[in-house]
Amino acid sequence: MASETGWEEPVLRATDVTMRFGGLVALDDVSLEVPAGRIVGLIGPNGAGKTTMFNVLTGLLEPTRGRIDYLGENISRWPPHRRGRAGIARTFQRLALFSRLSVHDNLVASWESSHPGAVLGRSRAKRIERVAEVMGLLDLWPVADRMAGGLSTGKGRMVELGRALCTDPRVLLLDEPGSGLDANETAAFSAVLQAVVSGRGDRHPDVAPPAILMVEHDMALVMDVCSSLTVLDFGRVIARGTPSQVRADANVRAAYLGDASAV
Amino acid sequence: MSQYWPFIIIGLFTGSIYGLAAMGVVLTYKTVGVFNFAYGAIAMFCAFTYWQLHDSWGLTAWVAMPILFLVVAPLLGIALEALYRPLTGLSAEVVIVVSVGVLAALEAIVPIIYGNEDRRLQAIFPTRTFVVGSHFHVGYDQLGTLVISLAVAALLWALLRHTRFGTSTRAAVDNPDLADMVGVHGDNVRRSAWILSTMFAALVGILISPSQGLDVNQLVLVVIYAFAPAVFGRLVSLPLAYIAAMVLGVVESLLSKYANSGTVANIEAAVPYLALFALLVIMGGRLKEAGASSRRLSLSTRGGGGSGGAGAVRTRHWVVRVLGWRLRLDRNLALGLGGFALALFIPLAVPGPRLIDITAAFVYGLIALTLVVLTGWAGQISLAQFSFVGVGAFTAGHLSGPHGQHFLLAVLVAMLVAAPLGILVGLPSLRLSGLYLALATLAFALVMDDIVFNRGDVSGGLTGITVPRPQIFGVSFSGRASLYELVVVVFGVVAVIAYVVRLGPIGRRLQIVRDSPLAASTLGVNLTVTKLVVFAVCGMVAALGGAFYGALQQAVTPFDFMWSTSLTLLLLVVLGGRSLISGAMIAGAVYGVQQLPIPASVNQYFPLAIALGVIALAQEPEGTVAQARREARRVMTVLRPLPRRSVGGVREIPMTSGPDVAIAAGSPPRGSGHGL
Ligand SMILES: Nc1ncnc2c1ncn2[C@@H]1O[C@H](COP(=O)(O)OP(=O)(O)OP(=O)(O)O)[C@@H](O)[C@H]1O
Ligand SMILES: [Mg+2]
Repeated sequence: MASETGWEEPVLRATDVTMRFGGLVALDDVSLEVPAGRIVGLIGPNGAGKTTMFNVLTGLLEPTRGRIDYLGENISRWPPHRRGRAGIARTFQRLALFSRLSVHDNLVASWESSHPGAVLGRSRAKRIERVAEVMGLLDLWPVADRMAGGLSTGKGRMVELGRALCTDPRVLLLDEPGSGLDANETAAFSAVLQAVVSGRGDRHPDVAPPAILMVEHDMALVMDVCSSLTVLDFGRVIARGTPSQVRADANVRAAYLGDASAV
Repeated sequence: MSQYWPFIIIGLFTGSIYGLAAMGVVLTYKTVGVFNFAYGAIAMFCAFTYWQLHDSWGLTAWVAMPILFLVVAPLLGIALEALYRPLTGLSAEVVIVVSVGVLAALEAIVPIIYGNEDRRLQAIFPTRTFVVGSHFHVGYDQLGTLVISLAVAALLWALLRHTRFGTSTRAAVDNPDLADMVGVHGDNVRRSAWILSTMFAALVGILISPSQGLDVNQLVLVVIYAFAPAVFGRLVSLPLAYIAAMVLGVVESLLSKYANSGTVANIEAAVPYLALFALLVIMGGRLKEAGASSRRLSLSTRGGGGSGGAGAVRTRHWVVRVLGWRLRLDRNLALGLGGFALALFIPLAVPGPRLIDITAAFVYGLIALTLVVLTGWAGQISLAQFSFVGVGAFTAGHLSGPHGQHFLLAVLVAMLVAAPLGILVGLPSLRLSGLYLALATLAFALVMDDIVFNRGDVSGGLTGITVPRPQIFGVSFSGRASLYELVVVVFGVVAVIAYVVRLGPIGRRLQIVRDSPLAASTLGVNLTVTKLVVFAVCGMVAALGGAFYGALQQAVTPFDFMWSTSLTLLLLVVLGGRSLISGAMIAGAVYGVQQLPIPASVNQYFPLAIALGVIALAQEPEGTVAQARREARRVMTVLRPLPRRSVGGVREIPMTSGPDVAIAAGSPPRGSGHGL
């Protein structure tokens, strides 16, 4: 699934990644690519290995085998913080907010973590501008002063997205951003996502819109925003293609047996 | 070879007791997820109770034993279960704090109930020996202990292997909710585990006291030996823990053969701690905390309401808030500086001897501040902070010169020594957190006690060394008032720096490492550097505090910096409020009050009150301060004349526009899997 333009290097690429936990093979020779400017979906039943893939991509887990390339460079041995600084950002399926900081400080801390020298107080003007922009984009001002730990899941997911955006990512990994959101929140979220990828809402000329890799169970949301999908089951890739191709795939229907009617 | 046998036999004897303790510790950890720091104290409490029943009241063993094992131990077990039950699922930090609180409470209760006089517990076996082979003697008590220990260990093992209790134990740890669903009564399993574990503690207590002496601190310490084998069994394997304990006992005993020969003096006493530290560092990433996955993400479940303390700050417009951190003089800082100014005049009002106590409170507050930064802000638990204080005090003693003229130099050297030590303590934090980090720091403190502070050339041995009052740039601070002023200024400067740092980028960095290290690292935070720096800096400031501690006391001994002093520090800081600078000040004040000439009959209740307070406030990061604030608010709402709308300053930022659902942290509705 090379990008349409053919010659362009994908932002993020995983090649033959295998991850074992003792006897359990959580990922079995999984390859995937995230081309620039796209939203790619990673789907599959519970326990398929999606979160594990994210952990491998962000360096939180060292894979048993396989290689990760980012912007044409082999980053397999980079520690998580180096990947974060280089522009790989993620959200967590199980919220990992900085619960005793305010929402605003969550974003500020994120900007400071990802920009060299910021922890010593450098480039504050830029920080203030960027954080304000993201707060506005995600409509977080109303909760700016609230402790992140006390937020609803929906708002919490927005804060995690905002935190990721503050690092000015080149690729954004979203782990089930839609779970725990109500219908209104999901719609708003989908709109925000579109805006983020298209660069609308981002007045920053020097920040290219990120590519997105998204894990999501909400098929309506996936079909709505993703341009291509990879389907995992028991750690293996069982299908890939455009949403409509995947929807028609017999393997996928079998993997989701019982839920097939929901297609 | 034959000259080793006596040592091996002694080793098996002590090892078998460590084995029992290790199994008792593992049992509650694996069943309930509580690592019982108080295990030694429970053993000690039971031993004292037995002494009371048997030696003091003269009951025969046939009566005293059943009372101890079938009444006292089970009741204690049930009480402990009830105490820990509400803590299920809370962070490791809270559970550690509570169990250290229980340790302190038991240590405080024993002298109150049983008095302070010296006593010995009679051995339960005859102390005669019999001769094996040609010439070495084996005590009946040693043999008896070994046999009992093996029998009880086998019994426990069989119990877990072949009964319903065993299988339900496993089910309860792996998944409490599931266990409840399939009909295993989690509560019963937990209670049984606590009772069994406490009975083991009682056995340990009465087996070891006759040879170790019935001493509050000694017994607690001996049981800490058992922590290393317990960790070796990864806190889940009973047989591994037991075998490792035996091996440890033998190794330690063999080493003691050489201990008196000079160079390796005291190394054998430190072996279990060195082993513990090394095990934790080596096994590092492979150690997993029980129930960590089912743990709620944060402890700030009371979120919103309770912790909006910096109200004045938080309601400002964001521009002011974002721009202002450098120049801000907010209410807290203003209050602090006001208090500081007042503090400078205290010598005018307070008579000399009491002034020393107040100075001591400030020195202690300075030391407590390092723990606030380390544990309260950066989330790294340390049970070794007083080891750094010791480094500072002894260095000051050696290098200050007879009139304290080299005090500054000594402080500098002390801080330079403390920095690498801080990094050493911080090393385990790179791969460990919570409980395992606490254990590693405890091991570090014990190692420092045994192989550094015990050396005559470092500490002057039991008699200690003298530390002169400082003299800086020719100005002598030997008078009480001048020393006081110096200490207050140092404390003030450090506190203001800490305050400003907390509000800035560095403070945020520490707090995000505390709240979610994984998220922080994916955002670009180098956890290694952050943790090591914070350990090193806190160690350095603690050493600075130590130099003043020494200069104030004018003489220091190793006892001033014993491992237990670090535990006390943790308790006082938790009591005061571990995430607040004012919490450190309260810790100092409480310490100061204990220095006052209060009759012992009253004073002995202080540690108990502190321990109970800590157990009650363990979940509250702002400790007493939060409690006081809540009370004050309650009073204020009653006193407020009329209920107006939007009291207390107009919020410039409107509250949520959407549905304002403030669900308590950590209980978000989990994702629902929708079909394709
Ligand atoms: N750190 C770990 N240690 C051991 N096993 C793990 C670990 N992380 C994940 N697993 C296992 O790997 C498998 C894949 O888990 P993963 O969390 O990646 O699934 P997922 O596709 O994200 O599922 P879900 O839709 O439920 O989030 C599961 O069987 C899980 O139990
Ligand atoms: Mg997942």
